[in-house]
Amino acid sequence: MTTILFIEQMLNGLGYGFMLFLLAAGLTLVFGIMDVMNLAHGSLFMAGAYVAAHVHGRTGSFVIGVLSALAVVLVLALVLEVFLVRRLYGREHLAQVLATFGVILVADDAVKLIWGAAPIMASAPALLSGPIELLPGLMYPSYRLLILAAGVLVAVGLYLLVNHTRVGMLVRAGASNRRMAEFMGVRVGQVFSMVFLLGATLAALAGALMGPLTAVQVGMGEEILIPSLVVLVIGGIGSVRGAFVAAMVVGMVDTIGRAFLPLLLRSFLSPTLVSDLAPAMAGLATYALMACVLAFKPAGLFPARG
Amino acid sequence: MSLFVVNGLVKRFGALLATDHVSLEVRPGEIHALIGPNGAGKSTFVNLISGLHQPDAGRIELDGTDLTPLPMDARIRAGLSRCFQITSIFPKATVIDNLMLAVQAQSGSSLRFLADRRRDQALLEAARALAARVGLEHALQRIAGTLPHGAQRQLDVALALAARPKLLLLDEPMAGMGPEDSERMTELIHTLRRDMAILLIEHDMKAVFALADRITVLVYGKVLVSGDVETIRNHPQVQAVYLGTETTESAV
Amino acid sequence: MKFERWFPWVFCALLALFPLLASSLGLDFYVGFVRRAMIFALAAASLNFILGFGGMAALGHAGFLGVGAYALVALSDAGIESAWILWPAAMVVAGLVAALIGLIALRTRGVYLIMSTLAFAQMLYYVALSLRIYGGDDGYNLMARPSFGLGLDSADEATFYWVVLGLLALVMVGLNRATHSRFGHALMGLRDNETRMRAMGYPVFKLMLVAFSLSGALAGLAGALLVSHNAFVSPSAMHWTQSATLIVMVVIGGVGLRWGGPVGAVVWIGLEELVKQFTEYWHLPLGLLLIVIVFVAPRGLASVAEHWRLPRRPRPAEPAGAVLTPGEGS
Repeated sequence: MTTILFIEQMLNGLGYGFMLFLLAAGLTLVFGIMDVMNLAHGSLFMAGAYVAAHVHGRTGSFVIGVLSALAVVLVLALVLEVFLVRRLYGREHLAQVLATFGVILVADDAVKLIWGAAPIMASAPALLSGPIELLPGLMYPSYRLLILAAGVLVAVGLYLLVNHTRVGMLVRAGASNRRMAEFMGVRVGQVFSMVFLLGATLAALAGALMGPLTAVQVGMGEEILIPSLVVLVIGGIGSVRGAFVAAMVVGMVDTIGRAFLPLLLRSFLSPTLVSDLAPAMAGLATYALMACVLAFKPAGLFPARG
Repeated sequence: MSLFVVNGLVKRFGALLATDHVSLEVRPGEIHALIGPNGAGKSTFVNLISGLHQPDAGRIELDGTDLTPLPMDARIRAGLSRCFQITSIFPKATVIDNLMLAVQAQSGSSLRFLADRRRDQALLEAARALAARVGLEHALQRIAGTLPHGAQRQLDVALALAARPKLLLLDEPMAGMGPEDSERMTELIHTLRRDMAILLIEHDMKAVFALADRITVLVYGKVLVSGDVETIRNHPQVQAVYLGTETTESAV
Repeated sequence: MKFERWFPWVFCALLALFPLLASSLGLDFYVGFVRRAMIFALAAASLNFILGFGGMAALGHAGFLGVGAYALVALSDAGIESAWILWPAAMVVAGLVAALIGLIALRTRGVYLIMSTLAFAQMLYYVALSLRIYGGDDGYNLMARPSFGLGLDSADEATFYWVVLGLLALVMVGLNRATHSRFGHALMGLRDNETRMRAMGYPVFKLMLVAFSLSGALAGLAGALLVSHNAFVSPSAMHWTQSATLIVMVVIGGVGLRWGGPVGAVVWIGLEELVKQFTEYWHLPLGLLLIVIVFVAPRGLASVAEHWRLPRRPRPAEPAGAVLTPGEGS
């Protein structure tokens, strides 16, 4: 019985890890190449979730919902890049924090104005609302399998993009040494915009996919931003590979921690104490992990920059 | 009797052997120049001595103290001080503040929170003395970043002098200087000789031959030859390395 | 005497008079409001110390406010009543937590420092959320305001106001002294050229840790004052967006400028209150304002004020904002 539970939680952890990867990959590229601290990345995630949920609700089609989310966020990201982020290149990080925090505030209220302060409904597509039997006795929600599939596809796609295309080479060059890349004639401005838009699309996809699983509400962007940043720190800035490894680890540690820590603690602590401590300790697990990594490698596991 | 001894120092960066069993010694009151073509590993060597990198093998000894296991701040307390190839001062502060900061590091704890440093006469006096030492006594109130390049280099040296070093590491002090500034710096270095030994890394051969008592030549991370000025000046292998004559054999 | 020297004292005197005048002006409510602004001024000033003077971009400061607040709540519940025990205790606890976090976070630099302090503060947030005995998500009520003894009634709004004002003045004087002290200069040296400081023999990590812990302790004091003021604490006060707000205050006021923290806190809280009068969607205009400030007055509003005055000659031992005066090229 516990093995089934364990596999189930492991799959959940993988799913969460993949979603974190979607967010962290965009973040790490934007930090790594453009050296821009974009706190509003979470807001793009939120926008993706809201648009997908809204369009799905109106049209009844999950796919159209997701595609609309990608399209809308792409446009938003374009506007954001042209009018704001572009002017933040080269500024010190505090200025970037300030400006993108301003964007978060604006985005939160914009969403509140359009959809109200209460969370909205996002449902999984009707086709995927039932469980599938993966192994005898193991019933797993088919929607979560979709998330896993999407995650794998994106991971493979990004790997191919970054490691096997010219564009990817430009991206890697930029991540490790922007100045050098500029001197060598890379059209830095264009690469930057592309990277930003790619990151935004991934964030929107993550938002659209995660909507049915979590609450679609104001502030969801800020909630997921911190775990994404933790992944970023653990993996190393500028490294997509690092983001992947870290996202998987964080996803697993967090999910399995939440599921099994109470069980573990219950064997030697009182139930009331366990119900108090367990969620906190599980939530703390990823931060403890980050602390351990930083203690030995202050620039993350695979820092792209020297 | 040597003041400063480096024995068999080795440093690898991955597959690159940046420092290849380098041995060197500096006598008290000596100006010992370290020269070599670009990429010879001079900067790495200086970083190994100052403590920025840890060597893979070898030993560094200053006045009887083994510096090898010590971190950077301990090496400074032991009497080692360095200047940087690229001027490294505090450009937004005044010259006197720069100097007081350097002196402060050597005179008691910095964990004093309430006393106004401007009233610390001892620090002020020491800072003024340092300024006079390098010829900056008329520029005390100027913002350091507004000084001309040569003066900034002088300040850089002054900051290193505050530690009253036994051995001063000068990393390309003439870098980026015109003839007038170079002469001034050469004279300054000359006056420093009374109080400390100097390890001078330089490309400016005129200054090297004017100042050095002995010279060590570093090529591809290895010591090619070490000796007094005349020996080095006339050494065929050194000439080959610098001038690329046909007589290059197994120099490296 | 120069404007900067006497004005703060005059303003302090005006602030002290305010509660006396408030009732006759019908502004009783605002005594509490100004008090809250002063508490945040203290918090922002403590952040400015490490951010502006130390160059440490720490995005988790609200965490230490929370630690101070919850420490006070815990001790108060345990029966301790006196503010003169509770507030220092809150400072000590917050300072210790800051030291522990600093031990790891201060090994990183730049963006990593920003993010690790951010994440550690979120850690504290989750701990607070899980403290079911102190209300968890719902927050917790403080039964009684810490008492002052000495015949003073802490429940009296004006009395509490004056105590807060006194503490703020004390902290500002202390921080100002610290800026001009050996420690302050060493801290600014670390901000401006850490490599050289190391090469000069300074114990860099130790100095940063001390600054970080002190700053955390002061934030803890602000947190303790805040919970005494509100009679309520909740984990949301420690959410990272609160830390970001503190940074916003410091940047608005002027990073590394003596009054950057207090000015920024007052401006932000004032604007917040003002905009709230007109609309519940006050995040939007303030968010836009932030974006505007980043492009128009990046060194904070205090630097804009500088442009209106005559150019100063460089003064010796001038902290932080000593800009190159016009006419002196390099």
